[in-house]
Amino acid sequence: MVVKCEDVWLEISNYFEGKLDPAFKRAMEEHFAQCPQCGAVRDGMRNIIQLYGDETMVNPPAGFYARLHDRLSDQIEGQRGSLRGWLVGLVATGALAALGLFATVQNRFVPEPRAQMSQPARRMPQQLVAIVDEGKTFHVPGCPYMHGKYRMVTPDEAIREGYAPCNRCMYESLRSAGNTEPDLDGEEIASSMPAAKREGPSGQNQVSRPGI
Amino acid sequence: MPSSDPSHENETALIGRIQRGERELYYDLIRPYEKRVFVIAFTILRNEADAEDAAQDAFLKALKYLAQFRFESRFSTWLIQVAINEARQRQRKNHLEIMRPIEDQENEDGTYTPRDFADWREIPSEALERKEVREKLVAAFGSLAQKYREVFVLRDVEHLSIEDTSQVLGISVGAVKTRLLRARLMLRDLLSPGLEAISVSHSQIPKGTKPWS
Repeated sequence: MVVKCEDVWLEISNYFEGKLDPAFKRAMEEHFAQCPQCGAVRDGMRNIIQLYGDETMVNPPAGFYARLHDRLSDQIEGQRGSLRGWLVGLVATGALAALGLFATVQNRFVPEPRAQMSQPARRMPQQLVAIVDEGKTFHVPGCPYMHGKYRMVTPDEAIREGYAPCNRCMYESLRSAGNTEPDLDGEEIASSMPAAKREGPSGQNQVSRPGI
Repeated sequence: MPSSDPSHENETALIGRIQRGERELYYDLIRPYEKRVFVIAFTILRNEADAEDAAQDAFLKALKYLAQFRFESRFSTWLIQVAINEARQRQRKNHLEIMRPIEDQENEDGTYTPRDFADWREIPSEALERKEVREKLVAAFGSLAQKYREVFVLRDVEHLSIEDTSQVLGISVGAVKTRLLRARLMLRDLLSPGLEAISVSHSQIPKGTKPWS
């Protein structure tokens, strides 16, 4: 392969990039050996690349780094201020969470049943339940054993108010919901509520409110 | 403890920690690039004071937007892009584009012919310790059109790859190669032979005799 001076001038930069076809590179080197002008172009370009590539070629002015860090520290300090704001917010949120936890613990105390003979629930129904203010048990809406004006509440609320599950309608409801052996009349009052809670969240967010 | 010269892996971890709130680590992240950003800004603005302001602004902007950095490119590439944009913005603000050399608008279709074939003695790097040598090199570089300065500084001063240079500047690899070839040849002509010719400023070169025209 024979290359001309014009070919060398076009490819001289790629020659230094090391991205030439090996045969073309060999031909260029043969050309350099015979052409002093192109040899001078090559040597000059090598000088340029080496001199400008030296890391001491351009230097920032004195004090550049200190001034840069000063200016950055202003910004970072400002953001630390914001961080403090976040921390204050975080503490406030923590306090609220503690209050919530306290309320939850309070709710774990089992209230006195409205009727002495009532048995507490061991399994929580997953839907809103109906209670009658004068009554002592909570029901699935439409239960034939419920009389009077009723209101819908979550099972938690019903139990907190001292209502016990209706042995008839709630039994059927839990069984149809997949509880093969619903146990509405256990004796472990204290452990019943947490156990029930571990099975899932209260029905308030889980079920759609019936259209009543 | 973050390294002062973090590898790419460490750098990624460092960025993650800064993004999660450890902002004081930003100093460690940018330490390897502080000079580089200044040099790039200086390349565009050709003025130390402006370059320093632009470099500071670039680092502040990078800090501000670091939370949005998604590792789609290397941090260094992203930071250099920020620096170039900042310097260009400042340049526009200073209306420096009015003074932009005419060859900035030239197309790159024509071939460049070296004008000086004088034999070069090898110039050792120690020559840079001499103030006048450094000044001549800087002056020659400053006489190039911006599009050549940008490519040259990224590839030959900052040693970015051709591909990264292309990505940073948003131009094709082919355009990078063409500009790089011209920049290298122009500098060679300006500095040849023996660094004597470079005192000729851009405006002093008679029309029609410019090596790249």
